This record gives sequence, structure tokens and C-alpha cells, in this order.
Amino acid sequence: MVAQLLRLKLRLLGNAFKRSPWQLVGLVIGLLYGFGISIAVVSSLIGLRLASTQLATSAVTVFGSILVIGFILVPLTFGVEDVMDPRRFSLFGIANDRLAGGLAIAALISIPSLVVAFIALAQIVTWSRTPLSVILSLIGAPVIVATCVLCARVATSIAAFLLASRRSRDTTGVLGIVLLLAVAPLFLLLLNVDWQRDGITVLDRIASFAGWTPFGAVWDAPADAAAGLIGSALLKELVALAFVGLLWLVWQYLVHTMMVTQQRQPAAKNYHGLGFFAISGHSKAGAIAARSFTYWMRDARYHVSLLIIPIVPFLLMVPLMVAGVPTNALALLPVPIVAVFLGWSIHNDVAYDSTAIWLHIATGVRGRLDRLGRVIPPLVVGVPLLVVGALICAPLYGDESVLPALLGVGLGVLFSALGFSSVMSARFPYPAVRPGDSPFAQPQAAGTATSFIQSISFTATFLLAAPTFYFAFRAVVDGDDWGLAALASGLVLGGGFLALGILWGGHIFDRRSPEILAFSVRN
Amino acid sequence: MKAKTASTPRATSAKAAPAAKTPAAKAAPAAKTTATKSPSTSRTAAPKTTPAPRKTPARRPSKTTAVTEQAVTPEPREVVLVIEGLVKRFGETTAVAGIDLSVSAGSFFGVVGPNGAGKTTTLSMVTGLLRPDAGMVRVHGIDVWKDPVAAKRAMGVLPDRLRLFDRLTGSQLLFYSGTLRGLDRETTLARSADLAAAFGFTDALNRLVTDYSAGMSKKIALAAAMIHSPRLLVLDEPFESVDPVSAANVTEILRNYVAAGGTVVLSSHSMDLIQRICDSVAVVVNGAILDAGTMESVRRGKTLEERFVELAGGRTNPEGMEWLHSFSD
Repeated sequence: MVAQLLRLKLRLLGNAFKRSPWQLVGLVIGLLYGFGISIAVVSSLIGLRLASTQLATSAVTVFGSILVIGFILVPLTFGVEDVMDPRRFSLFGIANDRLAGGLAIAALISIPSLVVAFIALAQIVTWSRTPLSVILSLIGAPVIVATCVLCARVATSIAAFLLASRRSRDTTGVLGIVLLLAVAPLFLLLLNVDWQRDGITVLDRIASFAGWTPFGAVWDAPADAAAGLIGSALLKELVALAFVGLLWLVWQYLVHTMMVTQQRQPAAKNYHGLGFFAISGHSKAGAIAARSFTYWMRDARYHVSLLIIPIVPFLLMVPLMVAGVPTNALALLPVPIVAVFLGWSIHNDVAYDSTAIWLHIATGVRGRLDRLGRVIPPLVVGVPLLVVGALICAPLYGDESVLPALLGVGLGVLFSALGFSSVMSARFPYPAVRPGDSPFAQPQAAGTATSFIQSISFTATFLLAAPTFYFAFRAVVDGDDWGLAALASGLVLGGGFLALGILWGGHIFDRRSPEILAFSVRN
Repeated sequence: MKAKTASTPRATSAKAAPAAKTPAAKAAPAAKTTATKSPSTSRTAAPKTTPAPRKTPARRPSKTTAVTEQAVTPEPREVVLVIEGLVKRFGETTAVAGIDLSVSAGSFFGVVGPNGAGKTTTLSMVTGLLRPDAGMVRVHGIDVWKDPVAAKRAMGVLPDRLRLFDRLTGSQLLFYSGTLRGLDRETTLARSADLAAAFGFTDALNRLVTDYSAGMSKKIALAAAMIHSPRLLVLDEPFESVDPVSAANVTEILRNYVAAGGTVVLSSHSMDLIQRICDSVAVVVNGAILDAGTMESVRRGKTLEERFVELAGGRTNPEGMEWLHSFSD
């Protein structure tokens, strides 16, 4: 039975090469990446044989702990699609224990498992220092592989099983972002460490803690042996073995439970009234706007776009700050950046509807009303946000006379980006994550055009707002009335592009609506 | 299969081609003439031309040999749906190979066919969701592909296997459909309540459609399709995964709608159901109509299922399956 599962896994892996050329390219890049990483890690582990025990201990333990934690967190937050889900075998009548074992062994055949196997072998070289450290690292090698594989199995199953309901999937998507946000300051903290001076000390301190956790124990045990700390070495090896045992029990229990519980049915939540539809009136554009608003609030895919928008300015500001750009000049950045991303956020809006777009087509709603409705939510949110933002950022810059320029750029960029997005989403939809899938999942059908369309719409946004940018630049440099010029050009040009985009996009939508639906059906 | 088609006596129910042939000119009057000529409920033009559908238009006159049975009934009915020479190809495969059909007002019209026969493709082209490669569709005299906005106003649509905006609650989805159809707020709300009561999902109105079961989703989509009281309802597999009680309710609603002059075109592969509720039927196989007309004329004294199997062919004599009769454990 184990042999059959192994063959199945090999076949699945082989079939991955039979897909479309672009997926193949992705796969090959993935393979090369994995291969490159393992070579890099393996050679550093071998190189660490020559380093001091102290340094090798810290490096190996910290790296190893991160590796194991990664095997848990990645499937949990990003929800990997599990081709070997135990439930798929529930109808074959295989004993649970044998299935659990078989699936765990089959999981060895995967790129990450292979990489881990190489790393586990390499750490034996690192610890070929004393007899005990050799023995412990020899025992450690299979334990490392087992720990990583079982962690991944357990985490994947939990993600697929416990978190599989729609609502919890929505929340995990958001959790992923919150996690990213939480890690960011930690990252900054680590960046602030003067690695040249204190790096080793910090690493040592982390390692001495991580070594006692189940994630780091298996890596740290031979290190302690090499340092002559035989007692703690044996104890850590015990922790590591106990962790594998525990993982094995959890995995067996999960398989056992999943065999008899096909799907969790969460209680459906009750909503009241019509929500945004209650205030939208009975105009068609209003209804479409209310629908969009509702999706912005309820659909995890939109949450991701929304949550990313406030983060991006800071991500851009940090490197600029490091590069020595004066802090007050950075205060000019957030408003235009938020405007670009808000306007850009709907450039693939039609694809987000997936095949549900048939309703707009079957009811014969005019394209310009569809376009208009979709533009309203980012406008309603964006305009006040940008005005407030400009009011805050202008004093931060230190010269409140830039306010009109800032407003002009912000609103102008938002308007023209929305106008251009209205055209793009009607004319060039590209595959998006399907409704209900994890917002981090890859779209089922990868389009070759995706990144091309993204960069086109991004660049075009800047081009359309170029005059406004120019006036605003003059306003910041020369002052005078350039600021008012920027404001006027932002409002007039931007407003013009917005109206034009809605009309032209609407015309395209009317003309191409069957093709738009055909596109959604394909993806 | 081709042989079978050819052997099917062509005369039976066929014909309305002359009217259809009349160029773009006055669609409605032309249709009316046809209707007068023909009998009972629905008039169906079914040129059994399947074998050579490519250039149908040229050949059509020849098969106009149509003989109308029992050409008695007087009462002329408007032909609410006319399909002529509809063709759709996907790459190499021809999904719909030249379908002609006309459905008169007040009929309950069933489209039956095996899996992959082209039912959904045909209905999608009728409702303006899929662009045909050739052919014409007129709803209430309006060309669907020349004046889609006006034509769509006359239709209520239930597509098969397309998503709904399922992050809306049931009541939001109904409200949304009504508003997109141009109904005002009060009408939409009143009709939503009526529909929910009639279809039996009042207590689910405040839940997200994504949390509905398959049958529930079907019911709410059906309700959304008729909220604007269209002249013609085009329903693709409306009873799939709907429980028997709800199906009976829905059937009742549709019957009353038809009695009041509405027209229903529905597809299904449940022969029993179609035989029970439809008064006219078209049998679609491999993208072409093998027979069409009133239920009686198509059935020819057999059950619809028997007649369908006869027309569609493909029944195999299951030999060599004896191993299934000795159990392995």
C-alpha cells in the first residue's frame, strides 16, 4: 500500500510537467529555486564545520528553528492545496494507521522534503566534531526530516479540514496579513541591530532559547554535545524525539477524524436588512455600487487590497529613509501612493466577479452604469481619505502651502486611475483568484498577460496624471500659484479621464459582454 | 446516429421555415402567419437537417415539405421566440449545428438531450450570454444580438452552472436582480417577499447565498429570474438538485404563469419531468434538433424517454459485465 501511495505521489509530481508551458516555467523556476537554496544551505552547513562551535551552534539552531516553523506556518496561512488529503482515500477502505503511515512516507516525495533531506545530511558534516555529536547528528538527520514532513502534513490537514469553511478561510486570509504586519516591526527591530557589532550576541541569545523549543532541539542537541554539555545534549535529543512522537500521534488522530468527518458545517450567520442596498436608492448604478461596497466588506480578496494600501507607503518610505532622503520630503509620498493603489485596485474588478457577471449581462444593464457603480466605492472612500491625508501630510512636510498641490495630485491620480481601470477591467480582464478561494492562492488559470496588464495600467496612471505631477513639482520647488494649477489640473484632467473612462469602458462592456462572460467561464 | 436522423420521417412536426425564411422584414407578422397555419399550442420548426447543417439557409426551402397534422385550431398565437440557423463552434467541435425553433406564447416548452448535446450552449445564445457564430434569435420580435438591451428586457434567465453574487444575502440578491431589471424599490421588496414565500426560503433570506445548499441556490436564482415578470422565461436545468416538494411548488408557479400567457423554455435531462409538465418539446442531440413539436407528436404514443432513447441512440447492450455479479469480499 505504501508502494502504491509512493507511486501515486510520483505520478502526480510527473503530471505536473504535463501542464501548460507557463505553469511548467513556474515549476522549473520553483525547482531551480529549491535546488539553489539547498546548495547554498548545504554548502554553508559544510563550511560551518570549520567555524567555532559557538558560531555553528547559533547559526544552525536559529536557521533550523525557522525552517521547522516555516513548515507549520506556510500551509496554515496560505492554505496549500493538498493533493494527498486523507479524505480522498476514505472510500478505499484502507486501515487508518496504514494510511497515516503511507501518506506520511509519500509526503517525502516533494521538493521541500528533498531540500530538507539534503540539509539534514549536511548538518551531520557540521557536527562531525566529537563522537557523541556525530551520533546525535546521525540520529538527528531522520528526526529533522520526520519533524518537517509531519509538521507540514499536520498543518496542511488542519488548514484543509478545520479552516476549510468559507468564513474561517476569509479570516485566515486576514490573519495572514495581520501576521505580516506583526512581523514587520520585528523585522525592523532586527534591521536596527548593529549586526557588525552585536550580531553574534543576538544570534546566540536567540539560539540559546530556540534550542530548548521543540523546533530547535533537534538541531541544537549535537551542538551541545560538541560543546561538551552532554546532559543538555541528551535532554534536547529527547525533546526532539518526543516532538516527533507527538506529531505522529496528532497526525494519526487527524487522519482518523478526517476519515469520518468529511466537511465541517459552520452555522450560517444571519444578517439583517438590505445593508448598503438600503441606502443605494433604486438606480442601477447605485445598486451596483452597493453590491461592490458589500463585496469590499465581505470578500477576503478585497480585504487584502484594502489592507495592503495603507502598508505600501511605509514599505516604500523605509528604504528611502535608509537611503537618506529627508524625512519631511517623505511626507509628500503617502497621498499620491494611496491614490494610485486605490484607483488601481479595481483594474481587474470584472474578473473578481467570476461567472456571476452573467447577471449584469442577462439583465442588459448598460456598461457605463456598471462602470460607474464600480467606481463609486473607491471614490466614496478615497476622496475623504485623500483630503484628510493631504491635510495631515502638508504640515508634516513643514510648508502648508503645498496643500493644494498635494490635493491636486492625490485626487487627480485617483480619478484618472479609476478612469483607466474602468477601461482595463472591461477590455483586458485577467485571471483572478476565484470567489471563496484563499486570497493568497494563485489563480487557477495563470494568464501570460497578467503582469503585462498590471504594469500597463500602473504606468498609464502616472502618464495620465503627468501634467498634474509636473505642476505639483513646480509648486513644491517654486511655490507661487503652481499649487493651484496642480489642483485645477488634477480636478479637471482627472475628472475628464474618469468620465471618459466610464463612457469608453462602458461602451467596451456593452460590446464585449459575451466575451467577458466567456472569459470568466474559462477561468 | 446520422442514419437514424435521416430515417426519421421528416414530415411529422416539422416546419415553419417559410415564415422564418421571410427576411429580416416584419418578424412578428410573419410569425403570426405561421402560427395560424399550425395547430395546437406551440409551433416548432424542426428542419431535421442535422447531417449537413453547415449551409442550412440555402437548403431550407427543400425541406419545407412540412405537413401539418390536425391543422384545425384557429386561435393564432404570437411566436415569442424564434431561432434560425443557430450555430456555435468551439475550436474544432461544433456544439450547436444549425438549430431552428419557434416557440409560441403560452407554451411550456421542454428541451431535452443527453449530456453535451448543446442544450446549455443553445439557451446561452438565446439569452444573450454567448455570441453565436451564425444564426438569429428573436424574442418577441426583437433580435437578441442586434438589440440586446430591449430583447433582454423581455426575458428572465436562469443559467446553469454560473455563479451567483453569493456574498449577498438572499434578500440582497433578489433586490439587486430587481433593481438591475429596473424595478422600483417598493415593487422589488414586495415581489421578493412573495417569491420567498412561494419558493419557501423566507427564513433563509438573511443568510449569505454562499451558505445555501445547491437546491436553495437554484431556487433563489429562479426567483431572481422571474422578479421582473418577463414575457419569456429561459430556464436551464431549473429542477436540478431541487427537492420534490419545492419542485412541485415551482412547477405550479410556472404552470400558472403559462396559463396567464407567459412562456417557459426549460432544459432538463429528466424525461419524466418534461413529459409531465411540458406541452411541447424539442429533442436535441449532437447540437441538432432530431424532433420537435407538441408533446404528443414527439412521443408518438410512447413515453418521452422511450422515444428519446430511440432518437438519440447510444443504448449499449451491456455485455461482459458478469464480474459485477460475483462480489469480491
